[in-house]
Amino acid sequence: MTEYLIRRILQSVLVLFLISILTFLMIHAAPGGPTQIFLAPGLSPEAAQIQAHNLGLDRPVPVQYAVWLGNLMQGDLGHTFKNHIPVGDILWPTVKNTMVLMGAAWLFSLLIAVPWGIYNSTSEYGLSDQTASFVSYIGFAMPTFWFGIILQEYFSLKLDWLPLSDMYTMGKEGNLGDLFMHLILPVSVLTLGFLAAYSKYSRASMLEVLSQDYIRTARAKGLKERRVIFRHALRNALIPIITILGLDLPILVSGAALTERVFNWPGMGRLFVDMAVAREYSVLMSITLVVSVIVVLGNLIADILYAIVDPRVQLGSKGGSST
Amino acid sequence: MSSAALEKTSGTAPNLGMEKRPDGPWKTAWKKFRINPFAVAGLVILAIFVVAAICAKWISPHDPTRIDMMFPNLPAGSKGHPLGTDELGRDILSRLLYSSRISLTVGFAVAIVSVFIGTLVGAFAGYFGGWVDTISMRFVDVMNSIPTLFLNILILAIFGSKMSYMILVLAFTSWMGVARLVRGTYLQLREMQYVEAAKATGVSNLGIIFRHLLRNASAPIIVTATLMVGGAILSESALSYLGLGVQTPDTSWGLMLSNAQEFMLTDPMQAVYPGLCILIVVLAVNFIGDGIRDGLDPRKTTIPQRRLAAWRKKFSKSGI
Repeated sequence: MTEYLIRRILQSVLVLFLISILTFLMIHAAPGGPTQIFLAPGLSPEAAQIQAHNLGLDRPVPVQYAVWLGNLMQGDLGHTFKNHIPVGDILWPTVKNTMVLMGAAWLFSLLIAVPWGIYNSTSEYGLSDQTASFVSYIGFAMPTFWFGIILQEYFSLKLDWLPLSDMYTMGKEGNLGDLFMHLILPVSVLTLGFLAAYSKYSRASMLEVLSQDYIRTARAKGLKERRVIFRHALRNALIPIITILGLDLPILVSGAALTERVFNWPGMGRLFVDMAVAREYSVLMSITLVVSVIVVLGNLIADILYAIVDPRVQLGSKGGSST
Repeated sequence: MSSAALEKTSGTAPNLGMEKRPDGPWKTAWKKFRINPFAVAGLVILAIFVVAAICAKWISPHDPTRIDMMFPNLPAGSKGHPLGTDELGRDILSRLLYSSRISLTVGFAVAIVSVFIGTLVGAFAGYFGGWVDTISMRFVDVMNSIPTLFLNILILAIFGSKMSYMILVLAFTSWMGVARLVRGTYLQLREMQYVEAAKATGVSNLGIIFRHLLRNASAPIIVTATLMVGGAILSESALSYLGLGVQTPDTSWGLMLSNAQEFMLTDPMQAVYPGLCILIVVLAVNFIGDGIRDGLDPRKTTIPQRRLAAWRKKFSKSGI
């Protein structure tokens, strides 16, 4: 187990390292090069040269990368180009807000989707199952941001039940009830997307478990159907769902970014779009890295949990040393 | 040689109705596709949209870019403007028609390019194995760990938003699934005896990869490609909505939505049409993809799953 853990962590670090190189190179591959990007426009060639030297842009790319990575390790994400604000100052609050939105949506969709999928597996092709597959077709084909706009038009503008956008009403910052009201619409939008995927996964996973021999044995010895489902099948059916949750994180993060834009939610995704329009490259690079760290960590945790929960998983190449 | 001999014998054999060969996989697939109501409906709807996109020049009532400040925000059903006008007095129906051009072009182009990249990478990784495989799969891991939307925005922000860039960028961030799939198929196929035979007769590696193996791997590739079109249309609309995709003289459904959101107090219906268009097209494409997948899957019968399940229930005594 320890061996597997170490190997898996090293793998994640390697992936993150490669991502940092990729992002860095991408900025440097921009037309006109980094000097074009990081320097103020309209400088005379001489002034540009001096400023490039001061910023270290005239050094070889690997050296620049090493310096940047060194700063990153010390928590220095660089400064914004406009106003020269440290990137960390504007980034970290938005990370927290995104986590609130994502966490709520994630929890909510799991709470609905997994029981629903499991119920559907026991009544295959029933009314509820048909509804689920209809919802999933719509969920996969509908632009999430459009759904958001429609909800805004109906529930905020027409009925005036829920706030239109933002995280708090002005002057009510930190009020949990207010936060809850603001969460309802964006969370519904995100949930629809995940409802489709998760209920499908849990249904498929449950169906697979239900077709196995030990379930037949359990039924053959006369156990009640309820007990077969909840005691025998459910535990094993939940295992694959853990992996799916980890693998779906990139979609969750991307979906959150769009939803944040629609509802003006002060999160990472909205910041990313704003900064992309303003061409603040150090912020863009930092957010890409933070998002990647979230995804890689999520996958790592999912893999480890999977290995803990399912003893059949063969860990490591030797196999014998693991449980 | 042996096949020629076989043909000869079958040719001279008495006519027992055997000369009619059983349908090939593609014909079987088409037969199954044809009786799948969802798939056929998808095909018809997609055909309508494609025709509308091609004929947009002739069937749209107005120039989609013509600004007419005399009649802004007309409601649907106004004279000369079946779906009304937007905040600048541009005809919404015409804009929808012209938008379908961009969305469909991007959708299909992205699917083609990313399938091309994915197949190339996956085929080489799966066929050669070893370090080629390790490096390409590590790269796939890295690409999969950056959320696609963020990567798309980053690249478009750096290189600027042009339609050709957008197609390349979307393809560059969506080929990984195909690569994994093709690699898996090639890993299996390269152990086949006909590969050994081809090697023995001196066929080059490239010949084996593209002439012998690609055909056998083509079914899952085509299914993924179809399903990818829908995803690409959604991504395009998202990027255009965020202001990083299609730029103003041109128009796309995503861009129309971002305009509509600004003016939703005055004209809420404006936001409905483009979204419905996206929903319908993507739904149609996904139905077609599912139809092709079911058609090519030999385990799927022509009987709907639902009816099969009902039968099974009827005949099993346990009632499970």
